[in-house]
Amino acid sequence: MRPPPPVPPCLDTDQPSPPADAEVSGDWTDSIPRWLAATLFIFALGAAFWRIPSAAAPGFEPPPAAAPSALPALFSSTLLPPSKAPAEPILTRLPDGRLAAAWSAGSQDEADGRGIWLSIEEPGGWHPPLRIASRESTAAGTLTHAGSLGQPLLHAEGSWLHLWYTSRDGLAGDSLNHSFSTNGGQAWAKPAKLEISPLVGGELRPGSPPVSFDDGGLGLLLSRSFISGHSNWLRLSATGQILGLQRLPGSGERAAAIALDTLHAVALQRDPTSRQLQLANTADGGQSWQAGKRLPISSADSRPALLRLPSGRLLLAGNPGPGRTTLQLWLSADAGQSWQRGRIIEEDADITADFSEPALLLGRDGRIHLAYRWRRQAIKLASFSEAWLDGEAP
Amino acid sequence: MNPLAAYGLLAHGLIFGALVALLPLGPLRARAALIATALALLVGIAPLMHGSFGPPSLTLLALALLQHSGHSPAPLNWRVALGLLFFALIFYPPSLGRGSFDPYALGYQPDTLLAALAMLAGLLYWRRQNLWLCILAIDLAAYASGLFANLWDALFDPLLVLLALLVVGRQLLRRLIGSRIR
Repeated sequence: MRPPPPVPPCLDTDQPSPPADAEVSGDWTDSIPRWLAATLFIFALGAAFWRIPSAAAPGFEPPPAAAPSALPALFSSTLLPPSKAPAEPILTRLPDGRLAAAWSAGSQDEADGRGIWLSIEEPGGWHPPLRIASRESTAAGTLTHAGSLGQPLLHAEGSWLHLWYTSRDGLAGDSLNHSFSTNGGQAWAKPAKLEISPLVGGELRPGSPPVSFDDGGLGLLLSRSFISGHSNWLRLSATGQILGLQRLPGSGERAAAIALDTLHAVALQRDPTSRQLQLANTADGGQSWQAGKRLPISSADSRPALLRLPSGRLLLAGNPGPGRTTLQLWLSADAGQSWQRGRIIEEDADITADFSEPALLLGRDGRIHLAYRWRRQAIKLASFSEAWLDGEAP
Repeated sequence: MNPLAAYGLLAHGLIFGALVALLPLGPLRARAALIATALALLVGIAPLMHGSFGPPSLTLLALALLQHSGHSPAPLNWRVALGLLFFALIFYPPSLGRGSFDPYALGYQPDTLLAALAMLAGLLYWRRQNLWLCILAIDLAAYASGLFANLWDALFDPLLVLLALLVVGRQLLRRLIGSRIR
């Protein structure tokens, strides 16, 4: 009979192992005074209680009062500056009223992979895009091996320009990173990884642009496919730190949310089984979400975009599916409970056509801007008025 | 570089060194642990661990430091490890998307969690588990410092659960071998 193999001292302590080299053997834990351990714990517990962020969630930043848009019917479109394989555009409005667009672009085959690019509208057109996040900058900020980047979210809040994006690590899945600029996008802080789950893994898909709170904080929707698909509502501070998290009811992905007033907001998420959009509502500033009805709108595996129009109606842009060959608009006059088909922005009988990943933004002048991936070749920006949405000819 | 990233990288270097210190290297154990720590930081092992597991908990770091310093017996015995595994089985599935309740979210507004930890601390004090009480105090201090946004991240992490699995697995193996010898 062979004796059982020796067990390293750290792993089994029921039967102390013989002392090896410099080990401090014996029941050394008894040497820690009991009063000291208790005092340390009490002080640490008090400090931890003191540090807890405020539980009282603020209200949403109230949207402007509904008023009919004075703009005549108008529609125009343009391609944003070219980049390699652009995708996932997002729009925001800078404090001076100019538009800023971010998207992911680049090739997986290149050494630096896909990155996040930014372009800002100038009087003479769009500024050539600048790469604002790369694998190198992400690795330098997070001190991890950063893989391909994607899914950017750009949001201007006061003088801050926030950027969230995902980075994919070959071993672990997606991580969510946050960076910011305080000088209009010229220089960016080193990104920080946001800890949103106890286990890294799965696919992350940030939803629509953040919803602003009246204290300067932000609410962010984030879908994750890991054990099962679900969407989380993150409450962030004005500097982007996580203050709270709520899970939206049901299994959903590709979520978008919009505030209706200081307490109410609606979210739309795609049910991966039925591929239909499902409503979720909050009546307490995002502290809790209730499942709403399933809408008779099917959606391709592409994020929908939501916008509150000057008239108070809601505008939805998405791909009715099953492919991405049609980019359509819907309008709701009852806070998202029912939707009417609106204009078709793009349509092609070719099943390989791709008009997807829409992003909506309301300009300072009341024009509606819609950015989307155009035929996998470019980012297209369509600008139109509410009168055009209602069927008037430009 | 933010503090959590710097902490995560350094801590994973130390943890890798502590894992090497588990090997039966005899008198070379301490030196091998130091060399492994340096190598983990220099050749990219620590960033890989950091990316794969996220920043480690203070609990795991404290255990790693105890392993580096050669203290024996170490506090993670098989009973503690079994309790940790049992808790992980309850905690991880809903936190990762199963069901509508997310226990991980409790860690961002941890009033309830802190109250539960105060009761756990009372139990540890009563059982004279002074070291675990100190480790718990260190975890809470790390959360209070702002290093972690979520208290759960200071308390435990997937790598600690894997270590617990290893501890329990070895104990079961020992018992199995022991029963066959008898």
